[in-house]
Amino acid sequence: MSSSSLPLRGIRVADFGQVIAAPVTAQMLGWLGAEVILVETESRFTTRVWPPFADGKFGINQSGGFNLVNNNKLSCSLDLGNPDALAVARDIVRVSDVLVENYATGVMERLGLGYDEVRKLRPDIVYMSLGAFGRSGPFKDLTGFHSVINLFSGLAAVTGYPGTHPRIMGGLIPDAFSGCYCVLAVLEALYHRSRTGEGQFIEVSMTEALTGMIPEAVMEFSLTGREPEKTGNRDGRKAPHNVFRCQGEEKWVAVSVETDEQFRALAQATGNPGWADDPRYATTQARLENQDALESSLRQWTAGLSVKTVVATLQTAGVPAAPVNDSAEVLADSHLVERGFVVRPEHPVAGTRPVLSLPWAADGRRADELRPAPTFGEHNDWVLKELLQVPDEEYERLVSTGAIG
Amino acid sequence: MDKKEGKPAALAGVRVVECTETESASFCARLLGDAGADVVKVEPPSGDQHRKRGPFPDGLPDPDWSGMFLYLNANKRGVTLDPGDSSQRKVFDDLVATADILVVGGQSAEIEGLGLRREAFQELNPSLVVCAITPFGLSGPNSGYVGDDLTAVAAGGLSFATPGVPDGVADPANEPPLTANTPLAELMTGVLGASACVAGLLARQFSGQGCEIDLSLQEGVAAVMPYELAHAAYHEPKKRELLGFALMPNVYLPCKDGYIVIMAVLDGHWRSLMAAAGNPDWGDLEVFATAQERGRNWDALEPLLLEWTMSHTGEEIARMAQERGVPCFPAYSVGQMMGSAHVTEREFLQEFTSPGGQSFKLPGHPIRMAATPWRSFRPAPRLGQHTAEVLREWLSEL
Repeated sequence: MSSSSLPLRGIRVADFGQVIAAPVTAQMLGWLGAEVILVETESRFTTRVWPPFADGKFGINQSGGFNLVNNNKLSCSLDLGNPDALAVARDIVRVSDVLVENYATGVMERLGLGYDEVRKLRPDIVYMSLGAFGRSGPFKDLTGFHSVINLFSGLAAVTGYPGTHPRIMGGLIPDAFSGCYCVLAVLEALYHRSRTGEGQFIEVSMTEALTGMIPEAVMEFSLTGREPEKTGNRDGRKAPHNVFRCQGEEKWVAVSVETDEQFRALAQATGNPGWADDPRYATTQARLENQDALESSLRQWTAGLSVKTVVATLQTAGVPAAPVNDSAEVLADSHLVERGFVVRPEHPVAGTRPVLSLPWAADGRRADELRPAPTFGEHNDWVLKELLQVPDEEYERLVSTGAIG
Repeated sequence: MDKKEGKPAALAGVRVVECTETESASFCARLLGDAGADVVKVEPPSGDQHRKRGPFPDGLPDPDWSGMFLYLNANKRGVTLDPGDSSQRKVFDDLVATADILVVGGQSAEIEGLGLRREAFQELNPSLVVCAITPFGLSGPNSGYVGDDLTAVAAGGLSFATPGVPDGVADPANEPPLTANTPLAELMTGVLGASACVAGLLARQFSGQGCEIDLSLQEGVAAVMPYELAHAAYHEPKKRELLGFALMPNVYLPCKDGYIVIMAVLDGHWRSLMAAAGNPDWGDLEVFATAQERGRNWDALEPLLLEWTMSHTGEEIARMAQERGVPCFPAYSVGQMMGSAHVTEREFLQEFTSPGGQSFKLPGHPIRMAATPWRSFRPAPRLGQHTAEVLREWLSEL
């Protein structure tokens, strides 16, 4: 079932991912050509039983949260509380090149699937372990839902308005972003393995991935003991640099001006050629000092126009501007659709729904196949009978005793 | 002796040329250097713009000691060369001819204008992987758009979604979408860029051919939004207002010395939370009996919970709740995070000392690989520090 000429053809991934983070990692490895076997346990369901559901109706095969991060995978449903099922899981690991997991710290070890056990089954495995706070340190056992990661890592401390409380970023980015970091680690490890035959254990912490996004705040605090400033949407080096309301309900445009040349273009394009000679706005420093007035004037201009008109007008003039897209607008963005980033696999239960493919194109190509997220246990037959060569009678026994399903 | 000494690097022997002044492409190349690739940063004689950015440890601007530059350019060697200057282009091309990866970044038109698309190097080096990180990509209807971090966070859907659950917007009509005061889109996309480069190396093992990677900041942002996008793809898009009222408490509340998040939706967690709060009478009220009831009656519950949270510090509440297994955590300041036993014990932060004797810290590397550990091979280069050395080493083979 592996793909023709993608970077990870011939690579098999055993996916023990939970919720968003490790599932994102495994999905991306799948887009890159790996064969991903998702090992699922009903008693440990997360996104499968969380909203949103297709058309609002509950169903484990129609959860959007699950279906958007598990495309291209094969599902094998094993009750990991059952010793026979655990034996099957070990057999899957034995024929896998990569294992990814983000259970709470210690769960894989208790299942007998920790690195020290797994390396005996498969010495050259690349074992990717992702923890909210990592797998060591005093906080290693804490539950790390995304708000906690935002609040601990320092990201929330640089998000918000001057003098107000730290704000939490949307989109569960600690999960998905740390999942992306894991992709890098796994690819590096596979490259090393391709040259040396050596596998390894890899650990990534969600909080450290996020703290890596605020280097200036970390450096500033270590030098001066000063906490970072929360600046809303403003920037210390660019003005205007903010979102501005346009016509319609909750419609905004983002505008960012760095150079004097861009500012002169903005002045012309908005019908305010006088701004270009206005000493209040002549230099970046002046614009930063007078940005209240500047933003207010710009707001008056955008308020009467559609987002589309504002973006087109400013981009034509060479001024950085973009729509503030909501999720539906991202998925419907004709630019992203044409680039092949938004794709529409047909799911047997949930129907045809937009999902995101690999976030980059290599020579214009992203992924070869477009298979939807699996239904629960959809590939049990294939995994056990074809891949692991389990005899029919034994397979029936595993089903009847509840080890499978 | 460093316990990492003697262990191999994952990308040892891989040669990378980087030609960019963006955070995304610089960070992408830095991550490759962290894995042991030989990364050469090509800078114009005026120097990368981040040399002017700061923060500066000794207070005064110093192009070799700008914090953001040090962070983005560790584990690289520096060469001064202007690929846009025809007299220097030959040398640049010669460097690229011996490289495995070329990382470029900037506005799409700049990359086209400088002749940094892969086709320019096809004959010179057919196995070259070119990674181009641009605001909106090299193809598609908006590829000509100019942009930066703010426009990417906006166009990728992240600012509309911020503040996120369980924070929220009390008054969406008056609170606009929000980004963070850090180059979030740039740095996140840099991580994807590095992944794309290594994927390019792996593909080359099969094909013998390089490729051109086209990655946009907009895509880098959207890629970390799957759960938010799922709502739009599957049901009703989320609205920008206080959320989570269906099941409570999943909430972000003020406390005596800051803020705290509490997740006590499950009945067991709720009872444990009430135990932490000293089992107040109201904890047993019928109107708070289930997560749904607590959501429906949140207006009544919130002031009662607030009375408790406001009488304790975040650390106290977190300890009392965590002891009882309730997910709960206080908002940490950057200083609290950096000084925490957790960060200290994991040795995550990297220490530096400036020429003026100031010691300071930067984030370390979040990938811990047992067989091929990350190392600080070298600090970010001074302007032109390795020009002669690199030309001698790399070009002698031609």
